[in-house]
Amino acid sequence: MKQKADVLKGALALMIRKTLDVLGPQHGYGIARRIEQSSGDLLAVNQGTLYPVLLKLEQERAITSEWGASENNRRARFYREGRKQLQVETQDWEQTAAIIGRFFQVKAEDLS
Amino acid sequence: MRSLRRFLTRLLNSATTRVQDERLREEIEEHLTLQTEENLRAGLTPVEARRQAMLKFGGVEAMKLDYRAERGLQLIENLVGDLRNAGRSISRMPGLATVIIVSLAIGIGVNTTIFSWIQMILFEPMPAVSGAANFLLVEPRTETGGYPGASWLEYRDLQTQVPALRDVVAFQMVPFNVGERGQTERTHGQLVSGNYFSALGLKPIVGRFIRTEEAERPGTEPVVVISYDYWQTRFRGAPGVVGQKLRVNERELVVIGVAPRDFQGTMVPLKFELWAPATMAPALLGGTRDLEDRNSRAFSLIGMLRPGATREEAQAQFSTAMAQLARDYPDASAGIGGEMLPFWQAPRGPQRLLISGLAILQGVMLLLLLAVCGNTANLMLARGSARQREMAVRMALGAGRWRIVSLVLYENMLLAFLGAGLGAAIAGWGTTALRVAPMIGAFPILFPTRVDQFTLAFAMLLGAACGLIFSGAPAFHLVRLDPQDGLRSTSNTPPRSRARKVLMGVEVGLATVVLIAAALFLQSFRSARHADPRFRPEGVLLAAYDVSGRNPDKASNREFAARLLERLRSLPDVEAAAIATNVPVDLHGIPRRPFTVQGHVRTEPGQDRAISNTVTPGYFKVMGIPLLEGNDFAEMRDQTAPAQAIVNEEFVRRYLSGAEPIGRLIQTGAGSFAIIGVARNSVYDAFGEAAQPAAYFSYRDRPEDQGQIHLRARNGNEAALTSEARAVLRDLDPMLPLYDVRTFSQHIERNLYLRRIPARLFAVLGPLLLGLAAIGIYAVVSYAVARRTREIGVRLAFGATSGRVILQIIRENLRVIAWGTAIGWALALVISGRATPKSVVNLPVFIGVPAILLSVATLACWIPARRASRIDPMAALRHE
Repeated sequence: MKQKADVLKGALALMIRKTLDVLGPQHGYGIARRIEQSSGDLLAVNQGTLYPVLLKLEQERAITSEWGASENNRRARFYREGRKQLQVETQDWEQTAAIIGRFFQVKAEDLS
Repeated sequence: MRSLRRFLTRLLNSATTRVQDERLREEIEEHLTLQTEENLRAGLTPVEARRQAMLKFGGVEAMKLDYRAERGLQLIENLVGDLRNAGRSISRMPGLATVIIVSLAIGIGVNTTIFSWIQMILFEPMPAVSGAANFLLVEPRTETGGYPGASWLEYRDLQTQVPALRDVVAFQMVPFNVGERGQTERTHGQLVSGNYFSALGLKPIVGRFIRTEEAERPGTEPVVVISYDYWQTRFRGAPGVVGQKLRVNERELVVIGVAPRDFQGTMVPLKFELWAPATMAPALLGGTRDLEDRNSRAFSLIGMLRPGATREEAQAQFSTAMAQLARDYPDASAGIGGEMLPFWQAPRGPQRLLISGLAILQGVMLLLLLAVCGNTANLMLARGSARQREMAVRMALGAGRWRIVSLVLYENMLLAFLGAGLGAAIAGWGTTALRVAPMIGAFPILFPTRVDQFTLAFAMLLGAACGLIFSGAPAFHLVRLDPQDGLRSTSNTPPRSRARKVLMGVEVGLATVVLIAAALFLQSFRSARHADPRFRPEGVLLAAYDVSGRNPDKASNREFAARLLERLRSLPDVEAAAIATNVPVDLHGIPRRPFTVQGHVRTEPGQDRAISNTVTPGYFKVMGIPLLEGNDFAEMRDQTAPAQAIVNEEFVRRYLSGAEPIGRLIQTGAGSFAIIGVARNSVYDAFGEAAQPAAYFSYRDRPEDQGQIHLRARNGNEAALTSEARAVLRDLDPMLPLYDVRTFSQHIERNLYLRRIPARLFAVLGPLLLGLAAIGIYAVVSYAVARRTREIGVRLAFGATSGRVILQIIRENLRVIAWGTAIGWALALVISGRATPKSVVNLPVFIGVPAILLSVATLACWIPARRASRIDPMAALRHE
């Protein structure tokens, strides 16, 4: 259970960072919308899970945040990509994903 | 790096919980608003739009938990929360908390004070010297087990012959008369070997220390090192003190340096002010042969093991060296071996004596603390059952058992540490109070006790132990609590008070032991105070003089004493005057000397020994000790009479089996003496002691270079004689100070001082313990009674009289208390039998203490019982 959550958190974290990298500063809702759109409703449930991950990223200084005005001119917390190298993490992820992908493609006869 | 930063951020976040929570709330609100607007645009109704937005967001509370876990440090946050909770809970019971904290503080404070003394003696016996406890005493040892000290030449030999020791240091204590003619002042110092300061690892505050070559040959540089206090008081801390002249025993010494602030010499607790090279001995001590004579064993030696060497190695080398010396110098060293002793076992000095007394005291006080813990456990248990409901609700709401226990634990630990903190403060005050207590005497004494990190750690450790001990019972009780039962239960369930009763019994038992110990001690102290010393101390003035280093021979010592006595006796207010080498009831004791007496053959091995005092004629008159037979000593200038001795009754009884003593010869190391009289027994070492054999010798036959002047005032006002006595001595020799002037009563008071400290401690703690026991009993009974309100109401309604109700409650509790008392009483009996095997059982104490304890206990039961019996039956039945 726990591990699943951790893996999901890792994926979510990367998605958040990619979103911020592409779209620039965003508030939580904006990030949620964007991920929802691009992930084909995978994140339709529990948008709330976004916030602990945002906090974790902020504590790791991967992203920063500040108060700003939202589209309808209300106070909102805006997140912005930090100075950390997203590149490296993306590569790491792609590598891991590739390995796992290959791992699952392996059939019994390949090993014999 | 990253995890560290996260940790720090989290730590910071823990501190700013509120702000962070607010931020999250705002963010969620904003998120929901935006989503709702979106939904509205999609055509939903406002209510539905909001509902959909919330659904999409998911469980807010779960997310919040996740968020918090991510943010702060759960453990610390919980801890802070728990402590805050505990603090709140304690502040709801100020009275109870005060009783608990104060009683713990007293228990811990007293224990910590005693510990600081033990710690001083065992681990830090020399202030300002680090690692002083590692020093070993290098003690020559006679066949009879005496430690005669080492001679200078022996020291020089041992320095090279015990390679397992790094530096062997020699020192001897000497009295100094400092100052110009007519205004000299008595000070104590040490004559030391050249490596003294370097081996102790000391650095001078000003100037330098004695160099090794300065203590090589006799008659080298006349230099002196002074103590910090001496520098401050005599030189006002002037930095130019180096190079100044100090007149010591009529010799000019040049001050070369100042010792570190707390350093007081190597014979703690004696406090020395001056240190001069040992090679100055002949110059300072009037031609003493200390440096050449192997029979003059004036020095003490200490040394530290070389790294890697063991004490056994050093001991073996030391024994070999002493055996060789015994062969080379049979006159001086035959039959003298050697023994390495740990520093705290110093044969000269109070350490050995103190440590055993302190150990007993510590044991008793730990028992007292245990009783305090029992008491506290009881109070907490009583309170715990009152909180049963609260706990049951907490459990029903899902709190784990461990959580409940930890709640109790936090509360108790907080109480315990508050008590320990206050206790440490008490210990700090106590050590200072004991240290600055007046200890003026023949020798300046300063106990370098203090409260340091070890003592503080000890106090906290005691606190933690106490907290755990008195948490045990309530926690155990709560763990077994069935939440449903707890919720259902009102005050009419049968009280589960067995644990409390057992605790009450244990506590009363401990109290009995400690109270009996305290009473026995106090009584022995008081009876000591009021015992008949069998001499008359009232109206006697004591003062000391010392002509060592100025009178070259015995004849001039005798002549000086004779002239001094003549002058003193001619004073109009003096009824009688005498000089003696020793004063009874002295802190340092009176020497016992071996002898043989004509007509007595010793059957068992060893030597006969008797208290030995050298006195002038007239001594027995001044002291008020009657001579039962024979006469007083011959006059001081009488040249014809043979050497004389006077013995006491006990001497005659023990060594002469009551045969006629007059005329028999006593043989001692100093020659043979004819017994010319028998004196009545009197007290020598301590009040209430068993009769001891004693032999008095005459100053005429054995003139000494120092003496204690005894003056009996004609009008009973002995203190008024001080100035006259001073004038007489100044007339005789302007360079001689009269020192250690005190009335005999003051002398006795001072020497009872060491026994007075524990006596006072017991006098204060005894009643306190009684009070604690009473509070404990009261708490248990009143809680038990409160829980039985309904039962009591029923019984009253059915016609029981209040008297019967009271009687029953008292009887129930008193049974437990009586058991506790009986067990404690038996224990005390066994202990006292072990401690003083020969003495009879002290009946007043062994009957009185339980009687007082039981009456106090009865009273403590009666008060809540009476309150319970006065309730209105109808009100009691309606109760809850």
